[in-house]
Amino acid sequence: MSENPFEVFIEDMENEEVYLRVNAMHRVRIICTLIGVENIRSQLIPYFDSLLDKEEDEVLFAMAEELGNIAELMPDQSKLLLNLLEKLVSFDETVVREQAVNSITVVCEYLSDPEIVNIIVPMWLRLAQNEDNFICKISAVSLMSSIYGRAGCQKENMRQEFAELCKEETLMVRRAVASKIGEIAQEMEKTYVIAQLLQVVKELCYNEQDTIRQLCSMSLMNIARVLNSQEIKANILPLIILQAEDKSWKVRMSLAQILADVAQILGQEIADFQLIPIFTNLLKDCQSDVRVEAVKSLLRFIKLISRERVYLIIGNIQQLTEDPIAQVKQNICEVIGQVANLLPKQQSQNQLRKCLFQLMSDENWEVRRNAIKAMGVFAIAIEFEELNKLIPHLKRCMNDPKWRVRKETIQTIIQLALQLKQLDIFIEHLEEVFVLFLRDRAAEVRSIGLSSLCELISVYKQEWALGNLLKKCIEILEKDGGSLFRINALYAIQQICFAIEGPQIETNLWPIVQKYLKDPIPNIRFVSLKVAKSFLKKIGNQNISIQIRQSIYGMFEDPDRDVKFYAQEALQY
Amino acid sequence: MQNRTANSKQTTAGRSQVQPNTTTQQPRAPPQMVQNMARVTDPKHVPKDTRDQFLKKIHFCSQPYDFNDDTKNVKEKQERSQYLQELFDLLKEPNFVNNLVVPHLDLIIEMIEKNIFRPLPILKKTATNGEIGMEDDDQLIDPAWTHLQPVYEYFLQLIVNEQPDVKSLKIFITHSFIQEFLELFDSEEPREREYLKNILHRLYAKLVPRRKMIRKAINDCFYTLIHETYKFNGAAELLDILASIISGFAVPLREEHVIFFKTVIIPLHKVQTCQFYHEQLLRCSMLFLSKDPTLATFLVEGLLRYWPFANSAKEVMFLNELLEVLEVCEISKLEPLIPKLFKRLIKCIAGPHLQVADRAMCFFENDYFLTILKSYKPFTFPLLVPVIAQIADTHWHKVLQESLNALKTILKEIDYQAFDKALNTKDPKYLYIIQDAKNQKKDRQKIEEKWKNLTKQALQKNPNFKEPIVPYSDTHIVGEHNGLNNGNITIL
Repeated sequence: MSENPFEVFIEDMENEEVYLRVNAMHRVRIICTLIGVENIRSQLIPYFDSLLDKEEDEVLFAMAEELGNIAELMPDQSKLLLNLLEKLVSFDETVVREQAVNSITVVCEYLSDPEIVNIIVPMWLRLAQNEDNFICKISAVSLMSSIYGRAGCQKENMRQEFAELCKEETLMVRRAVASKIGEIAQEMEKTYVIAQLLQVVKELCYNEQDTIRQLCSMSLMNIARVLNSQEIKANILPLIILQAEDKSWKVRMSLAQILADVAQILGQEIADFQLIPIFTNLLKDCQSDVRVEAVKSLLRFIKLISRERVYLIIGNIQQLTEDPIAQVKQNICEVIGQVANLLPKQQSQNQLRKCLFQLMSDENWEVRRNAIKAMGVFAIAIEFEELNKLIPHLKRCMNDPKWRVRKETIQTIIQLALQLKQLDIFIEHLEEVFVLFLRDRAAEVRSIGLSSLCELISVYKQEWALGNLLKKCIEILEKDGGSLFRINALYAIQQICFAIEGPQIETNLWPIVQKYLKDPIPNIRFVSLKVAKSFLKKIGNQNISIQIRQSIYGMFEDPDRDVKFYAQEALQY
Repeated sequence: MQNRTANSKQTTAGRSQVQPNTTTQQPRAPPQMVQNMARVTDPKHVPKDTRDQFLKKIHFCSQPYDFNDDTKNVKEKQERSQYLQELFDLLKEPNFVNNLVVPHLDLIIEMIEKNIFRPLPILKKTATNGEIGMEDDDQLIDPAWTHLQPVYEYFLQLIVNEQPDVKSLKIFITHSFIQEFLELFDSEEPREREYLKNILHRLYAKLVPRRKMIRKAINDCFYTLIHETYKFNGAAELLDILASIISGFAVPLREEHVIFFKTVIIPLHKVQTCQFYHEQLLRCSMLFLSKDPTLATFLVEGLLRYWPFANSAKEVMFLNELLEVLEVCEISKLEPLIPKLFKRLIKCIAGPHLQVADRAMCFFENDYFLTILKSYKPFTFPLLVPVIAQIADTHWHKVLQESLNALKTILKEIDYQAFDKALNTKDPKYLYIIQDAKNQKKDRQKIEEKWKNLTKQALQKNPNFKEPIVPYSDTHIVGEHNGLNNGNITIL
């Protein structure tokens, strides 16, 4: 118990392995708690300082992070750490520098306003004015937003210096400005946002580097947050339009990515009248990647605009369903499903149904899968009379070579059936495609079908279960050669048993299952046993119950080990 | 000299070698315009209609077309190609160059800008990360390339041409021109990059007053590669140009160039896609070292610092470079780097990758390296001998085991006594590298126990204290981070 904490730390820090030193560095909080502020100042900080030149980046990265945590332990004295952090923010390695910037922000939270003005701002100015190392300037740009708000009488000074940074020729600094200016706008007084920042961002939007223009999209959006709609219309909107027409697809793509957020910030009025044309253009963009991103934002965008203007985009949606790029079509499916509910029924049926049908037979299976998924949502919006048009498509999808498509199809069918609630229509249209799951090659599809049976029987009652459904099961059990399908049919019977009463089980189900307890295939016998066991739980009639037990008892000597074991277990209670 | 750099293109990244077909033009009947010009007796006075025709063609070629779709504007595109060919032919006649081209250089440069300055298309590739040995069989080709190539060819010939002098060209080669031009180097189309390289190279050679600016723009390009994007298709080409720029540097190097070496050349080694341009980078490094050998120790330090992790192909490259650089180092300057250097070598030799181990063993076949080894005998022997002696007995590969035994003999021959002494060192420093995980864990236990104690104390002192989470732990596969202990991965 008598170790000197600081020595333990040093001992571990002298380890040969970098990862152990990183670990040790992350444990420095323990040391700091124990040795107290005075020793941190006199021992730890000088030690850290000596590490700066010789340590690996990974350790320095950990150090930059821990300095923020140490500040938390000594809120009154956190300024002691600034000297180290100032050195770290001028480091070459990006992650180290960024981490150090974060830690400075943490330290700032513990400083009083006078300390910010007298210590932090001068440090910031040193960084911003460092002509030898552009990295310091980048760090200054990143720090601007967390310092400026509390810079008091130095604000003017900082703004001037920031203006200088904006004029900096090094591309890296320009890019830093382009990406941080939105954050800075949140902190600056509105008059200066308008007078200074807007001017800067405007110039950046016209920069010849597409990477810089690309960063501007996000910043424009953030600046818009602090402006009123009049100011947005006058200043931000023209730049957004400029971006939407940018010659570089990268810029258009990054705008497409955030356009829904932009719409949210700019408000419904601007979205309705100004952004819809921008959006529709992006949806028609010649670069497929732009279209993909635009389609991904589309649904959120549509929810933001007024309902009566949604129709303006329908044409684009229809066009996109014929897009040569599969990824576009994959993403448009969901949009169609959701949009249908926002439109009057008649309209959605006429315009979108065909599109969706077409997508359901697309050559790309992911498109087919998404289309059928969307159909589930869409179908709520269409009239049931239209169902007959849908059936052939569902039938084709249930025979799709990709099981994922079939999985989505069976789910959609189940969903439809549960909503339909009319036995005659169900039997007329859906039943035929539904029962296909019984003979599906993919276990996943079969099990989804099975697990839905209980709920479906509760909707369509036992007449259907003991009628058409059971008939289908028997058909498979008797005529089908595939044991997997027969097993599935047995499980379906088990599901029926769960949903009905004892007497029906005795008369309708038991006689069937009884036969298969003697099937030549062990697996069938095994599953029949399971089913028979579930009968036992529900049957009230003693005679039948004894009959079942006897049949099971007869299997105690089954040649198959598993069947034998399970037979014994089934009679345990 | 220029030709040499232009054509000595690397083949590492599976890029095809392309040479601009400047001289192999088929002889053909001179187009109408050239004929017209030929009839002009007084070269000072170009007839107005010839000039108008010339300007019309320049203007026509400045029109943008969608080159990705061959079915659109077929006629215009054909016409455009023909005009470009005619403009190209004009460059062969000094008279016309002087009287037509030079006075209208502004329009010509504008035409070139309008054609080549475009957002680069995405050519989708399945394999994007640069693993070596992966041949890009189906090199994707920009469909617009056939239409761009004549413009590049024209630009190149324009620069090569003697007539347009530095003064008239200089006006157009501005900072933003160079910046946009450099951005094109990121093109996926190798033939485009080849043209860009040749053009930039000649611009640099010709426009002496613009050199500093071009160098700065290239610097920016590399900064972006190192700090932000980590991938830049044209890095190899730019380094090619740099190599010839560097060979022109005067000795002693100016401070600006030394800074460049330290802030660009060395950090370029750490970029993930380094394999794509390593050959060129190595050449630049060696050129720098030939101008100023004292820079070698910085490079060794950089190599050790940015040593690749989990990328054995890159490790082999680093080993090659390290040996080459060491040969330039002054032995007395190496002292502070000796422990790191030998630790790295031991890790390579003891590591699981045979090629890496084999390359590291090659160091001991190098006389200069052996001299380093001998000069720092008191340091190197205790580090090296215990590990080598042990893996010489246990190594899993026969060939390597043989060479390890040979190394043992060499070390013995150097100094038998020192060898013996080193073999019997207590607690050899790097033996843990080849120890299995169990032993390592035992060693750690003591200090972990201390940490536990300290945590308890901290909790007593401050009940709100939250125990820090360490990133590398036994239960975590990252716990093996850089520790190459022959696959004894501890998973609790």
